[in-house]
Amino acid sequence: MPAEGMLLRIEDVEFSYEAVHTLNGVRFEARPGEFLGLIGPNGSGKTTLLRCINGLLKPQKGAIYLEGSQVSKMKLSEIAKVCAGVPTDIPDDFNISVEEYVYLGRYPHVENIWWEEREDEEQVEHAIECFELDPLRRRKLFEVSSGEKERVLLAKAVVQEPKVLLVDEPSAHLDLKFKLEVMERLHELSRRGITVIVASHDINLLIKYCDRVIIMKNGGIVKCGSPEEVMTPELIRDVYEVEAVVVREDGELVAVPKRPLREGEKRCAPGKG
Amino acid sequence: MGQSEKMEGQTTKRTKKRLYLIMLLGSVSLFVLFILYLSTGQVKLGFVESMQALVGYLGKLFSGGELTTSEFIVGEIRLPRAIAVIGVGIALSVAGAIMQAMIRNPLVDPYITGTSSGAAVAATVVMVIGFGITSSLLDFAVPIAAFVGAMAAFFFTMSLAEASGGRALNYVLAGIVTGTALSSVTTLLLTSFPTEVQDPLFWMFGSFNQIDWTKALLIILPSLVMCLIALLYARELNVILLGHEQSYQLGIDSRRLRRWMMVLAAMLTAVAVAFVGIIGFLGLIVPHICRIMVGSDHRLLLPASMIIGANVLLVADIICKTATGGELPVGAVIALVGAPFFGYLLVRKGREYAG
Repeated sequence: MPAEGMLLRIEDVEFSYEAVHTLNGVRFEARPGEFLGLIGPNGSGKTTLLRCINGLLKPQKGAIYLEGSQVSKMKLSEIAKVCAGVPTDIPDDFNISVEEYVYLGRYPHVENIWWEEREDEEQVEHAIECFELDPLRRRKLFEVSSGEKERVLLAKAVVQEPKVLLVDEPSAHLDLKFKLEVMERLHELSRRGITVIVASHDINLLIKYCDRVIIMKNGGIVKCGSPEEVMTPELIRDVYEVEAVVVREDGELVAVPKRPLREGEKRCAPGKG
Repeated sequence: MGQSEKMEGQTTKRTKKRLYLIMLLGSVSLFVLFILYLSTGQVKLGFVESMQALVGYLGKLFSGGELTTSEFIVGEIRLPRAIAVIGVGIALSVAGAIMQAMIRNPLVDPYITGTSSGAAVAATVVMVIGFGITSSLLDFAVPIAAFVGAMAAFFFTMSLAEASGGRALNYVLAGIVTGTALSSVTTLLLTSFPTEVQDPLFWMFGSFNQIDWTKALLIILPSLVMCLIALLYARELNVILLGHEQSYQLGIDSRRLRRWMMVLAAMLTAVAVAFVGIIGFLGLIVPHICRIMVGSDHRLLLPASMIIGANVLLVADIICKTATGGELPVGAVIALVGAPFFGYLLVRKGREYAG
């Protein structure tokens, strides 16, 4: 029986690309307003999992529920009203302005055939203000910097009024300041009641902000728990095959990688199918 | 009125204003060019004279009566031709705009995707080989063949592109493969049957020379209907620019929509090419010019492409008609005028425009 008040429920999801298992019996649940981190090495299934949640991929086994409805049975337009994605990058070859791009986020909610209504515009204006995009609104997407681009992406996702926000590698091209800024903003969104799921390679960043962290390897969940439970040298060693120490700095956990494991030192991680 | 103003925000109002402005300016210039078009040709008519002839012709359409010479020239020869030019201008420009959005590549147009070449091959085969078709039937057999050829070439390009990965680049490459192969077939046919060369060669560079009322209506009516369908999907076209994954997350199955929209674009191309031959470059430059003028929002871009496309092609055909020493193929004129203009825009707008 699913627990009460769960916004997102993932039940034994399996997905394979041409006989290769990329997701292998994944199950977890997420509450409204929860900030979830998804970590794991390349090819561990993080992105595939995000794609299954927003209906882009259909799991061969298991089911995903958004607000109690099974995603694979929902219309795309219904999913889009509940679940938004923040992509890693934006297309910049069509002369689209920042403002036009943010407006596209309203697509699922606009009922007219052609024009947005005042409510849509208010949402967009609010997001532009929140993410400090006013000076950039007339700029073309190819003219904005990486840090600004991330704010544009978030603004577009927010005007979609999602209950679940899926973020894939938000900090890939960002320097330290912008990485922290993006995570602060995502954290803020989760406190406003949006369930935020972030997939990232940056363990320390996720540990710092997330309520719960899920570690994936080979398409399965190795461990799911609070940052303290998940952040152990043993788990990092198992999952990433890296020798690491975990230290506490000003009350915050920080993983410091030391060296990759050599052949013979590696162990098989649990959860492997 | 009050209700809709209440519901509408500032940005929508601004966008609407820009749309109305561009449509107003475009229509005024279209009207001027239209009258100018009616007055140009072998028989020179003044601006006022041709307008009088037009009014006279339209009046006699309903009341009956003998047409004067100038009424006949304007009403029976130049008017259908002007309508055909406008129809083709609209059709090719919108087809180009749709293809560019759908393939997410500003470098494609009906010509690059091989669609026009497919029409040319099929039409040439019919014209050169004839299949024993009598000349009166040939007038209809050629457009029908062109239509079938356009659709076949288009589907071949699409299948090739999707089989090779379905990315933006694959569509361009597949189009070049299809277009080049089909153009060679056309060239081989033309060189193998030299006595028949004049007609197909002229046809391959586009000409409005043989337009009558039937053909004009067969061009303009389907073009307008299909453009109207495209206009209904303007917002979806905007979302599609973001790519498959992001469109999906906003609630659009872009692969499915793309298939339908591409069929629409191919049909628009086929309607145009079937009656007047290949007019390359128009479908490429008009959406680009409009994107520079009004941006990428298809709610502005599609109507702007329609009106600008009609304007540009009218100008080109006026040049063709007024050339000394016989009529010029309109496709060649478009390319000659369009290429430098497009180059100028690219350089001037350089940084501002990443198309």
